[in-house]
Amino acid sequence: MHKRRSFIQNIMLAGAVVLLLLFCLFPFIQILSTSLKYQFDWGNPSLIPRKINMDAYRELLGFSATKEVEIPESIKRLLDNPLLKEEQKQKILERYSSTADIFPFARYFINSFLLSAGAAAVSLVLAMFGAYSFSRLRYRGQKIMQRGVLFVYMVGGVLLLVPLYQMGVKTGLASTVWGSVLSLLLIYIIQTLPVSLYMLGNYFRTIPYSIEEAAAMDGCSRLESIYRIILPLSVPMMVTVFIYCFIIAWNEFLFASVFLRQFPDFHTLPLGLQSLFVSRNAIWDRIMSASILTLLPVVICFMFAMRHLTGNLVEGGVKE
Amino acid sequence: MRPLPCTLIRIYPLQLSLSQKESRLGLKLIAPCIGVIGILIIYPILYNIYLSFFDVRLAGENIFVGLANYERLLRESGFFSSLVTTVIYLAGSVIGTTILGLLVALVMSIKFPFRNIVRGVILLPYFAPVISVVFGWQFFFDPVNGIYNHLMVETLGIAGSRYNLIGEPRSALGIVIIFSIWKNFPISYLLIISRLQSINKDQYEAAAMDGCGPVARFFHVTLPELYFVMGTLIILRLIWNLNKFEEVFLLAPNVWTLPVFTYYTAFTGIIDQGYAAAISVVQFVVLAALIIFYVKKVLKW
Repeated sequence: MHKRRSFIQNIMLAGAVVLLLLFCLFPFIQILSTSLKYQFDWGNPSLIPRKINMDAYRELLGFSATKEVEIPESIKRLLDNPLLKEEQKQKILERYSSTADIFPFARYFINSFLLSAGAAAVSLVLAMFGAYSFSRLRYRGQKIMQRGVLFVYMVGGVLLLVPLYQMGVKTGLASTVWGSVLSLLLIYIIQTLPVSLYMLGNYFRTIPYSIEEAAAMDGCSRLESIYRIILPLSVPMMVTVFIYCFIIAWNEFLFASVFLRQFPDFHTLPLGLQSLFVSRNAIWDRIMSASILTLLPVVICFMFAMRHLTGNLVEGGVKE
Repeated sequence: MRPLPCTLIRIYPLQLSLSQKESRLGLKLIAPCIGVIGILIIYPILYNIYLSFFDVRLAGENIFVGLANYERLLRESGFFSSLVTTVIYLAGSVIGTTILGLLVALVMSIKFPFRNIVRGVILLPYFAPVISVVFGWQFFFDPVNGIYNHLMVETLGIAGSRYNLIGEPRSALGIVIIFSIWKNFPISYLLIISRLQSINKDQYEAAAMDGCGPVARFFHVTLPELYFVMGTLIILRLIWNLNKFEEVFLLAPNVWTLPVFTYYTAFTGIIDQGYAAAISVVQFVVLAALIIFYVKKVLKW
């Protein structure tokens, strides 16, 4: 079967691979390139910036010096007026030096990180016990549970949009800041719980029963055997599930926009970026560098978990 | 393996029978999950159906309107055009994702240098946050700065003038479909290639002996083996894409698929959440049919 490939076949293969890589990576290269360009360079189709612009990154990461405030000439003349009181001058100055212009990237990043990590952690703990229950214990209704998990795992977030919002309004949670944050956290937990149950359930079933039986012989109770045997054995899988849940929550936009739109200090990254994009013009460099910085944690997680992720995705542990 | 019953009887010498104990533990462990799922998924689904019969007021009592919201769905053109958009979006993205996934899987099953790196890198679109990649796509098609327009107008001279593709709902739908294919083909590729690699090599040898060329081998050996996984992929992709909101809304807010339509109805303009609930119910019915089909026919869980 293993014939040597001819020269032409090699060329075709190389061409296909290059084309594929270009298709996959071009948007990322585009984003990186634009994030490093000055405004005069944006219309230039070349991907290599004529002059590297790091201002956007510096601003987002908070390294830029206090922003030079441009005060119109007329106002300057007004300020020079000796008749003006110091207080009034301050007030006028404040209006022009407001910090509203700076994109609070670090704040959004922390908001997103805390929400995602919190939701992923809770979901993982709940799923650990739940998945153990329906994948390794036999009882009436166990099959229904298993099927049920699969069903809710496919019900997407959009379907729950109106009822969950109405529940938030009716319970009064949606009207306060922390209530909204709590609602969002709960929503992220239920968006990730079914997939955690599914992935962990699939994994637990692959652990041989004989290990637990041996533990039982040594006097371990069933609960103890979860702590002492199943959990240590499942650490790599649990890391994978955690990362998978983290990514789902990190990428979520819809519910964040519904619950947190009115609380700018609590915006998550996707929401913050989207409002930045629709609110102002000519900010491609900042939008793109913020995109790169949003992408970074996911890429790092991804490289870390790639081996496990790909393996488990194939086994059907996928959720979108 | 050691005979199970006798060992276990020695371990649990309690009044409760073994199976009772096991079932108690099982229910105890799963109770928190059932609670959370019940309150935050099952109840909302039912509550959504309930709300769809009401004129939902943001302040004050809801007013029961019977089937009025559903009548509106049938009467007003907004819902139908959204339905058509959704069908086109689903058809394009599902077919495209599956075919590209198949092609990539075929290429990736050939050995070549650095194949492992390539295999990893092409998964990136799937894992990248939607919000961080949509701007790259928007910039690409931007009428002022984008490469696409530069290519079409200045370099190749195909188009007469620069054109805002994402600004126009019709062309935007096309771009949303391409974006969806780009974003989601890696998962189709992964599932197909794992099946591809488990095909018995003997089958190819036998076919080759019978005088089958590479093309005939593909159609007679490879493809039949892949039917099942590809069918699964198509149903799953239908289910997933029917639920997609971010991938459509963030790239092109003017493409009104059902989820986007629900969002606009529920939260912008003249807010009408009862009507939005009715749209969700219709979507849920379609989705439930797909899921039940999937669970019954495809999945052995």
